[in-house]
Parts: sequence; structure tokens; C-alpha cells
Amino acid sequence: MAAYMSMGEAHRRITEYLNRFSDAVSSQDGKSLSRLLSISSSSSSSLQFLADALNTFQDANRIIRQSEKCSQYADILVPVFRALQSYRLRNLVESYLAFEKAANAFIQEFRNWESAWALEALCVIAYEIRILAERADKELASIGKTPEKLKGAGSFLMKVFGVLAGKGPKRVGALYVTCQLFKIYFKLGTVHLCRSVIRSIETARIFEFEEFPVRDKVTYMYYTGRLEVYNENFPAADHKLSYALTHCSPLKEANIRMILKYLIPVKLSIGILPRNLLLDKYNLTEYNNVVLALKRGDLRLLRHALEEHEDRFLRSGVYLVLEKLELQVYQRLIKKIYIIQKQKDPNKAHQIKLEVIVKALKWFEMDMDVDEVECIVSILIYKNLMKGYFAHKSKVVVLSKQDPFPKLNGKPILKKASILWGYVAASADLLSTLSLTNSISLVQGQIPYTHQWKPAITDLRYISFERVIQVKKKNQVHETRVQRLPMNNAK
Amino acid sequence: MADRRGQQQRHMIARNNSSSSYSSFKSHKPSNRNTNAKNTHTNKFATVNPDNNDNIDDHQDIPNLVGTCPFMCPVEERARRERLRDLAVFERLHGNPAKTSSTLAVKKFCRTISTNNVQASDVRPVSVLEDTLNYLLNLLKSDCHFEVVHDFIFDRTRSIRQDLTMQNVTSDQAIHMYERMVKFHIISHHRLPKCGSPNIASICHLNMEQLTKALTSLFNLYEANRAPHSIYKDEAEFHSYYVLLHLCSDNQGESLSLWFRRVPFVIMKSKEMCFARRILRYFRLGNYKQFIYTTEAEASYLQYCIIEPYISEVRALALSCVNYGGYKLQPYPLTHLSNLLMMQESDLESLCVDCGLQTSTDGIGKALLSTKLTNTCNPKRGYHKYYELVSERLERLSAELSEL
Repeated sequence: MAAYMSMGEAHRRITEYLNRFSDAVSSQDGKSLSRLLSISSSSSSSLQFLADALNTFQDANRIIRQSEKCSQYADILVPVFRALQSYRLRNLVESYLAFEKAANAFIQEFRNWESAWALEALCVIAYEIRILAERADKELASIGKTPEKLKGAGSFLMKVFGVLAGKGPKRVGALYVTCQLFKIYFKLGTVHLCRSVIRSIETARIFEFEEFPVRDKVTYMYYTGRLEVYNENFPAADHKLSYALTHCSPLKEANIRMILKYLIPVKLSIGILPRNLLLDKYNLTEYNNVVLALKRGDLRLLRHALEEHEDRFLRSGVYLVLEKLELQVYQRLIKKIYIIQKQKDPNKAHQIKLEVIVKALKWFEMDMDVDEVECIVSILIYKNLMKGYFAHKSKVVVLSKQDPFPKLNGKPILKKASILWGYVAASADLLSTLSLTNSISLVQGQIPYTHQWKPAITDLRYISFERVIQVKKKNQVHETRVQRLPMNNAK
Repeated sequence: MADRRGQQQRHMIARNNSSSSYSSFKSHKPSNRNTNAKNTHTNKFATVNPDNNDNIDDHQDIPNLVGTCPFMCPVEERARRERLRDLAVFERLHGNPAKTSSTLAVKKFCRTISTNNVQASDVRPVSVLEDTLNYLLNLLKSDCHFEVVHDFIFDRTRSIRQDLTMQNVTSDQAIHMYERMVKFHIISHHRLPKCGSPNIASICHLNMEQLTKALTSLFNLYEANRAPHSIYKDEAEFHSYYVLLHLCSDNQGESLSLWFRRVPFVIMKSKEMCFARRILRYFRLGNYKQFIYTTEAEASYLQYCIIEPYISEVRALALSCVNYGGYKLQPYPLTHLSNLLMMQESDLESLCVDCGLQTSTDGIGKALLSTKLTNTCNPKRGYHKYYELVSERLERLSAELSEL
């Protein structure tokens, strides 16, 4: 709570802030300026003291107008002070409205500043706008009014985006603002609005994706990857989320967890299973039983796992993706039967009676009749998850002697490779998914795959325009190559 | 919940798009609730704080319009249309194209209404709207060609929705009216393709458009009236309609995954939604047996109306699977297959022909040959003849279809 402050003390603090502000502007010190505008940051005790000072002094506007250096920035400073005061007094709606006024005035000035020195401050303002709007909406909802400040914040940030979308050095900040917009749209549920911003980033010629800061690129790929998951474009989702994962700092465990939460279902859909170590390390244990069900061919376990965490999966939007794994579970179960039969009598192993499958399913407490099993078998064959044919009259499925259970996407299994973050993978599938492109201005990671050597990728770190590939043959490093890619190697 | 509310702040002036602009009603609720609101509903929106002047919505300055027109059609419009001979078949007195009466004329939907010019005498109050809806839906029993009936009810119910929006009605009465109108559109969705008229495709498309709009408005109304631990009696059923309308994932709109995020969990777990979700799963996985079987066994009549167009597609998938994966020396008996796909055996034969698949005859009966051809013609949804589902239960439901 505000300690008692004398008028003199208050006056001193206010003047001190104003001096720091004008100094920052005149010396084009972006960092200092940003610190002066971080209203919601609770660690900024100096701003808290300032707020107390403003509440004590009550006529800061006079000081601003009287100050030679600061009166020209009155349009920014007066509302900033009001925002600070209101925030301190927990009037969050007031605080947001005032800050929006200040931000508008700031943009006017920002436009006139030639270089991009104040970009960091602008980013802070974008962040604050969103945070304050969120808190204002909470306050509105709690008193029974319609929360609409966050939506207004979205419109405001679109304006900011427009300011940054130009040829000059300021454009590097556009991705940060985009990410703030993503966060707003995701929170509001108006995810379809992301489309226009994405289009601006990806098709405008002024933007070079690689020029943006890494932190922003990771966030951007995370959100666009999530959108691909919702639309079930798995190759694209894999590409984007993997990008986010490989470029995310290993220290940011919370962020990695968020990326993995969406990447894991995608990987599962293309047949790549994460190790339990990974799930435990990042506390994603809701996927434990899903993975186990896939390994065992246990449909009951899959359904149980989905039910146990139904609310969580629905909320994150991966429920339908996980549900679709059923076909892979069926495939696994039949494969197990095949393996067991092979051990008993290798010559007859490829013929599986439908009754046997019915029995196996019963053993997993799944009640299915022969007709339904035949239906499942026919679908698996049709979708190329199984090779062979089924004979209706004999009630038997006859598997092809060669490769009866193709890996997903029909690509042959290659030697296993242990990959970044502990995935157990068939590298061919990883290759094929990583080589898919979806955006014009991104540098693509195209992994060469010729028939002479079958690579096992061990390091996927993309370094701007070059890649380091260690090619292993029979688990020994065969060669190390550095491959340079030309800019905009788009397909 | 904030996400749903956040998207609804559109200015009241945009009233032309009547049925979808239930945008601003949240802030109006205290002044506008009709009296038969549920008593148990703790009206958390009632405490409008008048001191908080900074964020008074623009809408709150505009007082709510309350209609006063006592007839199904405003007097002025009735006279004008008589003069212009612009009367629908159902509105003509003794078949006279230039004469109508107050019991026959119904207000038309008007695309270009500007708020400023609207007079209360041109707008019908809720009770009149309800009577109008009763009258309109009763016309479904008439002997006229369905397309003509549909056309009339389609337009006039759109006008009802327009009047409701203009008066910002969000009561339980409005909910019930919207529910009935959605049901009408579903029935039309089912019956229009069977009308056999040449431009039926565009009529179906427009019907689907209004179905979606009305359904979305209905969901907004449910949300606006959300009480802490209860849902409306039919709320789960209407959510199941939404799921079934979006079985195919190549819809342009929002993906189901996104939509599910906003549905209250209690609705997700309801019997109707669990049915719809199961059907969705069977469809996406290609489990043709369970798709058809479960539909026959558990679908309500209206749910069936929505699922029906997909049945042809699923049956074609089944034929493709048998054709592709079956053993060529063991043709698949049509009798068994027709039971599985719940159709008459003769219909199945025709379907095979439609799909370009070959059948053979042996001592026992006809059977489907497996030729592993993958370039067979697969009937696209809506473009192919639909063969009735052999189902006593659904026939009974169709006959029993009670008043909408």
C-alpha cells in the first residue's frame, strides 16, 4: 500500500520521471524509454512510487505544462500519468482508456522519428495495451458489463501494424505486433482474424522472415502451427511447430512445453512417438496413455485416455486429432497378432482369421462383431495402413508377404535415428514432412534424399541459410556436410 | 466465456443483416427482458453501473424499439402490395392476385431497412410474431408443392427474425421461435433435393445459409441467457445439429476443433452431443458399418435429415473398400452387403452401376466383384441418387413428426 509521501517528495518524483522521459527522447535511448512505459509490470517499483506521487500531488498536469522539455509531449504524458494513477488505484478500465490515448499520441510522435530507435518502446506499448485490455475486460465482466476492451486493443494494434509496415528499419517490429494480435485473437476466440495478418506477413514483399528477431519468429510459428493443427494440415503443422521447437531457447521450458503440447499430437498422427522421458520432463503426462495405447494396440486404453483428459484436450483443440489415432491402434493390434502367429508358424502367419481379431479385441474389452472387424480391416487396406486383401466367405484377411504394415504415408522404414528432444522416429517420415513447404518468404529446410545413401538425421538445427547435416551409416558418422541454401528457395 | 462475448459488439445501426446481428443485446438485457424469463436465472447483467460513464456503449443511448403492429403484416405494406399486385399465392383472397386480408398477408423480408426510418407501427411485437410463426409453420401441412411452400415460409420467417433483431428480443420466447425456425430449415434441407426442380441447388444453398445464420443466432441467445448450472431443454440437440452439419472437414468456416473449445462441457457430454460426436468419429475414420448402423438405431428424425446426404457417400466408400480390398475369387454377396448398408438389394445393384462397379451372378445370388480398380466413379454428396435407408424406426419417426 502507498506509504505516506510528502508533497515535496511527490513533486520531486514527478519531475524526476519527466526528466528521464525527455532525456530518453532527446538521446534516443529506446531502452530507457520503454522502462518508463511498462505500467503493468509489478517489478517496476519506481513506477509504483510515481503513481503514489501522482495520487498525492494531484496536479501533475501543471508540472508537465510548465516543463520546457516535456510540454511538447503533454499528449503522451498526461494520459500516461492518468493510466498509472488509475492502475495503482485498481481502476483497470480507466487505466486502459487512458493508456490507449497515450499510445495513440505516442504513435504520432513515433511516425516522425526517422530511425527505429523507439521500436522497443513501441513494443512495450503494444504489450501493455494487450495486458491492460485483458485486465479491463476482467473488471467489466465482474460488474456485469460486456467486456469489449480487448477487441478494441486488437483494432488499435492493427493500426500499429500499419505504421510498421513500411520500407524502413521499423518494419522489424511488425512480427512482434503480429504475435500480440495472435494472442488477442486466440483469447477472444476470433481466430479467423489471424488470416489477414498472416497474409500480410507472408506475402508482402517488404518483409523478410529471416530478418525478424528469433523470439518473434518462434512465437509466430507457434501460433500459425496451432492454426494448422486446428485445420488438420499435419505436414504444415509439423513444419511450423518443429521450427518453433528447434529455435526456442532450451532454457524456456514453459514455452517448450506449450509447443510440444501441440507438436506431439501431430507427430503421433504421422507415426512418431515421443519417449516417456520427454513427456515427464515437460509435464505432458496426459499423453502417456495415448502413447502406450499406440504401442500396445489397445483401443480401450486410447478411449479411456481421451475420456480422462477430455476437457483438457477439447480446450486445447487436439481432441479430434487424437481421436483419429484409432486407425493406427487397430493397425498395431493386427500387427501384433501377425507377429505372434509368425512365431508359431511362419508359413501361415500372413493369414489372419477375422475371428482371431474379434477375440483379441474382446480381450481388450472391446465388443465388435465380425462385420465390424471386416469393415475396419477393409478400411485399413483401403487407406494403405495394411497391404493385402480380405476374403469375405472365408472370413480371413490375407496379408501381403512383403511389408504388410507400411509406415504412414507409405514410405519405407529406415534405420532409426535418435533425434533432438528424444523422439523415437523413423527418419524417412520426418524427412518427408520437414521437406514440405508452405510459405513463400521462409527459407525452406530441404533435406536431400537420394537413393545412394539413406541418411539418419541427428541434428536439425537450421542456421539461417545453412544447414549442418551429420550423415550416419550403421550408426557411425559417415560424413558431415554443411549445405547452403539460396535465399527464398521457395517451392 | 469472454471469447464469445468479445465478438459480439457490432453497432446496432447495422440492422440489415437481421438474423446474424444479435450482437449488442448483452448490454441491453436489463431494460429489455420480457417477463417470462426464468426465475432461477440470477440476472448478473442487471447491475448496470451508471457512474461508469467512460465505457457506456454507444448502443445504450438508443432506446429499444417496441413494435406495435397488431397484424401479421403492417397495414401500409398490405395496401402497397395489393396495389402493386405483389401477393404470394398463400396471401391471395379467393385466389385474387390483387386482394388480400389481415389474416392472410404476412410481412415480407426487406433487405434494405434503415433504422432511422423504422416506425413502431411497422414492427410486430413478440406475441404477434409468435402467432405469425404458428400460422406459417402450419402451412407445411398444405397440399401445395413443397418448393412453393418453402419459398413463402423461408422469406416470411426471415422477416420474423428481422423484427426480433430490431427489437432486440432475447427472451425465452425468442429462443423457442428460433428453435422452430431452425427446425423448419432442417426439414427443408431434407425435402428440397427431392423436389426435382432444375435450380434446386441454389435454393438449397440459400436454405443452408439461413440455417447456419439462424443456428448461430440461436447459440448467441443461449449464451446470453446462460444461467450458472443449467442449459435449455433442447440446447444439446441443437448443438448436435451443428456438429452433424460440419461432418465434412472441408468446410470453409471455423474448424470443429475451434468450435468445441467454446462449447460448455456439460453440453459436450450430453446424450445428443455424444451421439453426434460418435457419428463424427465414424465418418472421419471411415467406419461405414457403424456410421450407418448407429444412425439407424439412434438418430432423431431431424438429426437423420442432416446425416442423410452423407449416407450415399459412406455407402460409396464401403463399395470402394470392398472393391479395392476384397478377394477377387470371392465376390461379396450383395444380400449381405445390402443388410450392412441398410438398403434394398435392388437399390444396391443400382448403386453399383452408378459407381461403375461390376457384379456377377452365381447360384446363390448377385455379388460384387473386386477388381482393385481405383478410378471408379464415386458419387459426390448431393449429386447422386439417394437410396432409402431400410429402417422401420426412422419411418415411424418420420410419420410421427410432430408440430414444428
